[in-house]
Amino acid sequence: MAGGAGAVHESLYFNPMLTNGVVHANVFGVRDWVTPHKMALLVLLSELGRAGPQLGLLERRRLNRLLPPLLQGPDMALSRLRKAIEECCPQLAGSVHIRLKLMAEGELKDMEQFFDDLSDSFSGTEPEVHKTSVVGLFLRHMILAYNKLSFSQVYKLYTALQQYFHKDEKKDGADENEMELTNPEELDGKMEKEELDGPLREEEMACSGPLSQKQAEYFLSQQASLLKNDETKALAPASLQKELNNLLKFNPDFAEAHYLSYLNNLRVQDVFSSTHSLLHYFDRLILTGAESKSNGDEGYGRSLRYAALNLAALHCRFGHYQQAELALQEAIRIAQESNDHVCLQHCLSWLYILEQKIFDSCVLLEHSVNKSLHFGLPYLASLGIQSLVQQRAFAGKAANKLMDALKDSDLLHWKHSLSELIDISIAQKTAIWRLYGRSTMALQQAQTLLSMNSLEAVNVGVQQNNTESFAVVLCHLAELHAEQGYFAAAAEILKHLKERFPPNSQHAQLWMLFDQKIQFERAMNDGRYHAADSLVAGITALNSIEGVYRKAIVLKAQNQMSEAHKLLQKLLIHCQKIKNTEMVIRVLLSIAELYWRSSCHTIALPVLLQALALAREYSLQYLASETVLNLAFSQLILGIPEQALNILHMAIEPVLAHGAVLDKGCAMFLVAKCQVASAASYAPQKKIEALESAILNLNEAKTYFAKVDCKEQLRDVLYFQARLFHTLGKTQERNKCAMLFRQLHQELPAHGVPLINAFK
Amino acid sequence: MAAAAMVVAGGGDFSDLREIKKQLLNVAERSRERGLQHSGKWAAELAFALEPLPLNELPPPPELTEEDARDLDAYTLAKSYFDLKEYDRAAYFLQGCKSQKAYFLYMYSRYLSGEKKKDDETVDSLGPLEKGQVKNEALRELRVELSKKHKAQELDGFGLYLYGVVLRKLDLVKEAIDVFVEAAHVLPLHWGAWLELCNLITDKEMLKFLSLPDTWMKEFFLAHIYTELQLIEEALQKYQSLIDAGFSKSTYIISQIAVAYHNIRDIDKALSIFSELRKQDPYRIENMDTFSNLLYVRSMKPELSYLAHNLCEIDKYRVETCCVIGNYYSLRSQHEKAALYFQRALKLNPRYLGAWTLMGHEYMEMKNTSAAIQAYRHAIEVNKRDYRAWYGLGQTYEILKMPFYCLYYYRRAHQLRPNDSRMLVALGECYEKLNQLVEAKKCYWRAYAVGDVEKMALVKLAKLHEQLNESEQAAQCYIKYIQDIYSCGEVVEHLEVSTAFRYLAQYYFKCKLWDEASACAQKCCAFNDTREEGKALLRQILQLRNQGETSSTDVPAPFFLPASLSANNTPTRRVSPLNLSSVTP
Repeated sequence: MAGGAGAVHESLYFNPMLTNGVVHANVFGVRDWVTPHKMALLVLLSELGRAGPQLGLLERRRLNRLLPPLLQGPDMALSRLRKAIEECCPQLAGSVHIRLKLMAEGELKDMEQFFDDLSDSFSGTEPEVHKTSVVGLFLRHMILAYNKLSFSQVYKLYTALQQYFHKDEKKDGADENEMELTNPEELDGKMEKEELDGPLREEEMACSGPLSQKQAEYFLSQQASLLKNDETKALAPASLQKELNNLLKFNPDFAEAHYLSYLNNLRVQDVFSSTHSLLHYFDRLILTGAESKSNGDEGYGRSLRYAALNLAALHCRFGHYQQAELALQEAIRIAQESNDHVCLQHCLSWLYILEQKIFDSCVLLEHSVNKSLHFGLPYLASLGIQSLVQQRAFAGKAANKLMDALKDSDLLHWKHSLSELIDISIAQKTAIWRLYGRSTMALQQAQTLLSMNSLEAVNVGVQQNNTESFAVVLCHLAELHAEQGYFAAAAEILKHLKERFPPNSQHAQLWMLFDQKIQFERAMNDGRYHAADSLVAGITALNSIEGVYRKAIVLKAQNQMSEAHKLLQKLLIHCQKIKNTEMVIRVLLSIAELYWRSSCHTIALPVLLQALALAREYSLQYLASETVLNLAFSQLILGIPEQALNILHMAIEPVLAHGAVLDKGCAMFLVAKCQVASAASYAPQKKIEALESAILNLNEAKTYFAKVDCKEQLRDVLYFQARLFHTLGKTQERNKCAMLFRQLHQELPAHGVPLINAFK
Repeated sequence: MAAAAMVVAGGGDFSDLREIKKQLLNVAERSRERGLQHSGKWAAELAFALEPLPLNELPPPPELTEEDARDLDAYTLAKSYFDLKEYDRAAYFLQGCKSQKAYFLYMYSRYLSGEKKKDDETVDSLGPLEKGQVKNEALRELRVELSKKHKAQELDGFGLYLYGVVLRKLDLVKEAIDVFVEAAHVLPLHWGAWLELCNLITDKEMLKFLSLPDTWMKEFFLAHIYTELQLIEEALQKYQSLIDAGFSKSTYIISQIAVAYHNIRDIDKALSIFSELRKQDPYRIENMDTFSNLLYVRSMKPELSYLAHNLCEIDKYRVETCCVIGNYYSLRSQHEKAALYFQRALKLNPRYLGAWTLMGHEYMEMKNTSAAIQAYRHAIEVNKRDYRAWYGLGQTYEILKMPFYCLYYYRRAHQLRPNDSRMLVALGECYEKLNQLVEAKKCYWRAYAVGDVEKMALVKLAKLHEQLNESEQAAQCYIKYIQDIYSCGEVVEHLEVSTAFRYLAQYYFKCKLWDEASACAQKCCAFNDTREEGKALLRQILQLRNQGETSSTDVPAPFFLPASLSANNTPTRRVSPLNLSSVTP
């Protein structure tokens, strides 16, 4: 149940673009170059200054809002730019166009003059632009960049401007005035040119032309954040790789593209290419680090450490734990040698993840949390806290303390706006509540996460919703719905999961497991044991322990008691060894059931008591209640129904509040049985009252069973009810029940287990 | 055209050398007319290797057609501009020319003009990303025009060649290969087309599926491509048969053979052939970088110094010259200067692969690891199959004490050269550092099996066994090692021989094999570092022997001498890369 949360942390591979959970793809040296697009912006700015007070307040405000994204965004076509300006102020758009036209169709000196005039805006006693404002900085950057250009570069810029302008013009021309007569010679030339473009168009589509620096940066950061937040929206792996290859062909030094390619290869589980890309990235990063003086030797060494660490992460993701350990050792050694505590903390966290694969060790983790707090790494610290909470929850530590710890770390998250961790925290709470058997609380937490607006949504405009947290929560939600008999809703949720996490994606295994579990439960309820049996293989592939358990259940249902018993005993020993208490209790319950099915209630009792003690100790409330139900049943059979009724009162409330519909039905059925059994010794008047209340309880059980469509149980209830009505002398009701019973009985095959003697 | 009329002899048929010579002279002339200097040079060199023709058999100057005559003036003018590298000017005057020769020159000038501009533009571009985007603008237009002509089947062999070059530059490799093959069919004598094919074919499989014209030129092509694909054995065979056919004087073939020997690290043979080559062609600069590499490996300082000075006198602004000088400085441990010269070589030709790798080595020597990584990465970018660059990267990371990290690089190098022991030994050392002794043992054993160059694999293997207390195997390895050393008959004292004898002495001592033990102990006494131990052991043996029975006096022949040399000493020739661990790439 809570197993889903177990994998949460593995998804958080640390990467250099990611500090404290936020992607910073823009780690390039910010150097500006004058491009035609930027010149258009400069023209816009100067026109803005010239227009001055003539502009309306509203227009001015709209323009001011338009400017920052334009200044920082990627280059765009002139037509798009013009449209954007037109939406704010059509008049200004016209004057910008005219000035650009004058410049593009004029001479080189017009452009030179333009740049000379630009610096005027700073001069005067009351300058139009402040030197340190956003616009001022942009202007100064541009002027500086322009002045640095060599003669041939200036000429190139000018021709680029002309092309930029004419491309737009040509498009316009094609739209509007094709009619304009051109002399035949020119037409001929045009034809020639078009023919020329003809055969090449196809390839150009394929590589869509080179990107400019800014565009490439934008593309990379956008795709990286999409990969992190919403994989389905990012480009498909193949086409993304194509784009990246194209980018790298034009500029092999663009190291970040290699990293993105690594991430992309991880998506398709390609260990070879992803290793290749990762190492290439770090080779490249190392040299950029060495080049920039500000980082100096420090930056170079740093990237080495992180290179080893990332390699460890990669191997871990592909399940090569031994290799991962070797790489991690290396990272730790280098980090220790250079006294990099931050890196060491990252290593420690990874060490924990790796060790977890082998055995639990809280010591490492506590150490990691303390140190991370000390070095001011909130991300790592709360990640550690979350792992710790998870582990403690399995170890049966006091629930209130765990919730307190989660609350404290939540405070930390909100303070630092670590939205990813907030998501994880909520997902974890869902899982923990499920573990404790409080389905309503779990439901509430799940809904909280799903309806919460992510923090990132404010920043980037991408909903962060293909993380593991979402997968976990949605899976739990599906199971919760299935438990309540809303199979259509559950199927709907699973369908959504399938769309959001396509089968080859990272978290797909989660929903696959839940999907099969739900199907299994349904098959068992309907008595289609062969169908359930066929699902066991699939479950085993995803989770071996769960698979073995289900296999045993199927065997039990098929009355192959000794095989089931053997399997359960083996499982019990294994689960006790790996300290999977939840499963231990479930196995104990199944064993007890096997005993009472073979009418050995006296042997079942100690087993059940053991289970109860364990469930209480680990505060697994729901399992405890289930155990109590089993106990009560045994007591009923052993002939102490009063005692059974007494302890049933303990269990009935939690079952009705949090239980699955089927369990609710069973519980009510059991209560009715106990009531009837204990009524035997009552005075006649009291007896009638007891029986009537038993009939009411049976009615309730009937509705529950009807919800999940459990015909066998329904049949039993009807039989029982008919007998009770008979005792009370209510012939009409009795006959009705009997008729319904007969209908069901004809539908279903009779099986060996006596009707009344079975609980569940 | 004249070439079409000429019957080119079938593959491997070198009986009519006179005819071949005629053809070579003819094609050299025609290449020159079209400004294809390298192909012309190649043909001329080969023709020079054959017997001179008597006057009456000299090929007549190519006949002029009507069209040629019409274009003659324009052609003559344009050709002179072309020779002066004024490509645009040449193209301008050739516009509208219809004859094949003039048309080719017209297109070729446009192509070269585009290339030249591209090179110039890379110097001042508008941004870092644009740097890589500078393209030869003329290529697209050329492609369109040439493809039209190609469809109409109006292109001759040279035209097809140019079309192929344009396609290759546009990265349309498959189309380019088809066109080059066609060019080779139409005009088999044009070496340029063959050479381009060599660059495009990446493996033996591809070669199998090409339908090549069955001419004697194909033999040269095959020999060349075998060298490129590292199929040295086959290449050497081909070259030998070419020499037997009468091309024994060809400097081209001699140099190729030398390069082939260099590739299989047969240093002595390669050296002697290169010396021979220099005698025949003292002002040759091509391939001298390879020669200098060989001299470097053998640490032949005076020879290298002479070569460097000599080449510098001939032409100091050649890539090869810079490379030789770089090697020279490197050998003299002046690594800064060496790096400087390699940089100069790269400035002269940015696509010159070897210099990147060599520069990486220099930076390594200077302990500038980041610069070294950069250089190696560049080398890999130019040629992914450059095993030395991969190996260099591995070494760099090993120096940075990242043995796990460098495994990847060594493995890459190993995959490219499965039977090169150096990578295997490096891999083994890394595994040893990572305490992965099983893998390490595998590596060392394979290194020995493929023929260990440095003869260190066995010692290392033995030490590993020693560490693992597998004394039996350790002793076996030491014995093999000693046999190896002795069979080589190397004069140079090998450092680990003493260790081997010491271990063996103790091993036999423990096994109570007194004779062997005393033989080894005596050997120990020959070395400084083990002398005392050897003597002590001898004394002990004597003591124990006296206690026991006296052994037979006749000492058997020392077991470690080459008499019992194992047969598996010959390295297996071609092996697949070692499968070290299945999960890692």
